[in-house]
Amino acid sequence: MRTIVCMLVAVAALTAGYPQAAHGQVRAKAAVTCVSAGQVLEYDCTIRLANARSGEPLSGLTVSVGADMPSMPGMHNVRAVKATEQAEKGAYKVRLELEMHGDWAVQIDLRGAVRDRVISMLRFEEADVTDVKPSSGRRGH
Amino acid sequence: MDDYLVSVLSNIGVISFVALSAYLLLLTGEISFGQQAFFAIGAYAAGMATAMWGWPLALGIAWGAAVGAACAVSLGIPTLRLRGLQFSIATLAFAEMVRILFELFRYQVDIDGEPVGPNGTDGFRSIRYIFDHNIETFDFMMLIYTMLAVTLAGFMLLERSRLGVIFRMIGEDATLASLQGIAVARYKVLAAGIAGALAAVGGGLYAHLTTYVEPRTFDVMLGVHSLAYGLIGGLGTALGPLLGVVIDVGLLESVRLFAGYRMIIFGGLVALLLIFRPRGLLDERLVNRIGRLFRNAISGSTRTGRGSR
Amino acid sequence: MLDLQGIAKHFGGVHAVDGVDLTVKRGEILGLIGPNGSGKSTIVNLVSGLFPLTSGRILFEGDDISDLPSHARVGLGIARTFQNIRLFGQLSVWQNLWVAQNSRQQRQEVFFKRWFGGSAGVQAEIERTLEFFDLAHKRHELAANLSFGEQRRLEFARAISARPNLLLLDEPAAGMNAEEVDQLDARIRKMRDDGFTVLLIEHHVELVMSVADRIAVLNFGRKIAEGPPAAVQDDAAVREAYLGTR
Repeated sequence: MRTIVCMLVAVAALTAGYPQAAHGQVRAKAAVTCVSAGQVLEYDCTIRLANARSGEPLSGLTVSVGADMPSMPGMHNVRAVKATEQAEKGAYKVRLELEMHGDWAVQIDLRGAVRDRVISMLRFEEADVTDVKPSSGRRGH
Repeated sequence: MDDYLVSVLSNIGVISFVALSAYLLLLTGEISFGQQAFFAIGAYAAGMATAMWGWPLALGIAWGAAVGAACAVSLGIPTLRLRGLQFSIATLAFAEMVRILFELFRYQVDIDGEPVGPNGTDGFRSIRYIFDHNIETFDFMMLIYTMLAVTLAGFMLLERSRLGVIFRMIGEDATLASLQGIAVARYKVLAAGIAGALAAVGGGLYAHLTTYVEPRTFDVMLGVHSLAYGLIGGLGTALGPLLGVVIDVGLLESVRLFAGYRMIIFGGLVALLLIFRPRGLLDERLVNRIGRLFRNAISGSTRTGRGSR
Repeated sequence: MLDLQGIAKHFGGVHAVDGVDLTVKRGEILGLIGPNGSGKSTIVNLVSGLFPLTSGRILFEGDDISDLPSHARVGLGIARTFQNIRLFGQLSVWQNLWVAQNSRQQRQEVFFKRWFGGSAGVQAEIERTLEFFDLAHKRHELAANLSFGEQRRLEFARAISARPNLLLLDEPAAGMNAEEVDQLDARIRKMRDDGFTVLLIEHHVELVMSVADRIAVLNFGRKIAEGPPAAVQDDAAVREAYLGTR
C-alpha cells in the first residue's frame, strides 16, 4: 500500500506544474490510403489531413508517421518516418516499412501550427491495405 | 533526444509496470496469466477520467490504480484459494472475460463536437491529454521513469521489509509459512491488490502514451510476456523483470537483425533459461552472493580503517 | 498445558491416530515414541493444525483449538520442527529467524520497527538464538547453502524464535551422528531449564530415555503405555510392540 501512496504523491507532484487544457485547440482528422510499394512489407501511404471541425485541409505541418500493433502493445517500435508534403493541399506522402502483415495502428504525429496525434487502423496484407472494420476480430501476431 | 529512442524507452517503462506486477505474484508463488486485465482496467479507467471527465492526469492514473487494485482484490479473494495451475487458469479466464466485456463496453460523451469514450471493439480513441496539455513526449517519458523509479524504490524497501520476506516465504512453501504464524491468505490477497494497482498504473500510462487502446491490446500475449520477463530477468530482485523487459523490447525488438525472428528467439530464451536457470538470470543465489560481497567490502574497509588508526 | 482428548485421524480406511488421550504438563518434556507408522508424526501434524481432526478435541491451556488455523496456533505459542527438514532455502539464516517471530507479544511491537528490521531487542534476541545454535557465522548465508547439521540447528532455532510455550520436536535427531545427538541432548535440557514445554517425538530411544520426564508409547495409532522412562522401558506391551511377540 505504501508503494501506491508514494507513487500517487509523485504523480501529483509531477503533474501539478503542467498547464491547463487549451480548449478550442485545432483537432486534426486524417484519411489514409496505402498501397504496396512493390517490396514485401513496404507501403506507400498518402495522408490527407484536415481540421476535424471545419474540414479545411491542414498544410505546412511537420508530419511523422509511426506504427504500432494493437495486439502487441509497446512491443513493435516501427521507427517514425517524416512524411513529405504534396502539391495537393493537406496531402502528405510517406513510405512505411513494417515488420509483419496484420493490423497496425498508424500513428500520425503533427507538429507546427497544429500539435496532435491521429490514429488510423489499417490492415496491411500482401497485396492490399484496407481499413479495419470493427468486430472483424482477426488478430495479427 | 531522438523520437524513436523516446518511444522505445517509453514503451520499456510502461511494460515494466506489468512485468513488476507479474513479478510480485511470482514472488508469492502464483503464476498469473491475467495481469493484462488490470493493465486494461487501468488504461480504460484512467483514459475515461482524463478524456471524458476532464480530470487531471495524476488523479486519472491514481483512479485507474485504485480500480485495478479493487478488481484484483475481489478477484483474488475467491481465486487465491485455488492452487497452482487452477489459479493460473482462473486468471486467464478472468482476463479474457475482461477483454470481451470491453468489446461490449460502449460509453461515449460528446466533447468539442466529437464522441469520445470506449466504443466496443473499435476501442477507446482520443485519449489526448498529453496533446491537449502540450506535454512533450520526452517529458511524458520522464514522468513514466520517475514513477518507475519510485515503484522500484518501493520494491527495494519491500525486499528489505518483513512483508517482502513474507511474500517470498509464501512463494517457497505456503504451508510452512502458515506454520510460522503467517496468515497466508491475507498476504496473498494483499500481493494481488498491489500487483493489480501496478498493472493498472502501467495501463493508465500506456493509454496516455499511445492515445488509444482497444480490447485486443490486452489479450493473453501481453500477460504471457509480462510473466516471462520475471522468469528471464530473475526473481531475486525487482531489477530482474526490468532486465527481462530490456532484453525483449530493447534488445530483440530494436536490433533489426532479429526482425521477424524475435518471437522464436524469445521463446527459445525462455525455454533455455527455465532449464538452466529456473529462477532467472538475477536469481536469489546471485543476489545473495552480491549482497555478501558488498557487506564484506564494507566490513573489510572499516576493519582496515580501524587498523590504520 | 496441552490436552488431547480422544483425538483420531483417519486417512480413508487407514486409522493413523485412533482415539489417543495425552496430556503435556507445563514445563515437562514428554517423549512420544513408537514403531514406524504408529501415528507419532500425525499427532504433531494435528496439534500444529496441518490437517483437521476426524474426531476428538485438542485443548491448549484450557481452550479448544481444534478448529483454529495453523497460523493462529503459532500466535498462541505452539511451534514445531519437521522430521524432514523444511526451511526457506531462498532466505538467509537471519531472515528465517526474523520472520518466525510471530508470538502474540512479538506482534505488538511498534509497526515500523517490526516491519523494517526489528527493534534492538529483536535483533539481540536473534543474535542470542544464533549464538545458542552456533550459527552466528552463517547469518547471511542462504538456508539452502547450509550443511545438513546446520539446517537441523536452524530449524530448531526457528522453532524457538516464536517464543513458544509448547515446542513440538518431530524427530530432531534423525540423520545426526553421535556427537550431534549429544549436543541436541544438551540443548533440549537447556530449554527445559529455560521454561519451555516440549513434546519430543523421536526414534532415537536413547535420547528420549535420557531427556524425557515422561514417555508415552504409540502403536497402530493407539497409546499402549505412559509413564516415567524406567517404567516404560520395562513395560511388556512396549517390548512386544518394538521386538515383536515372543
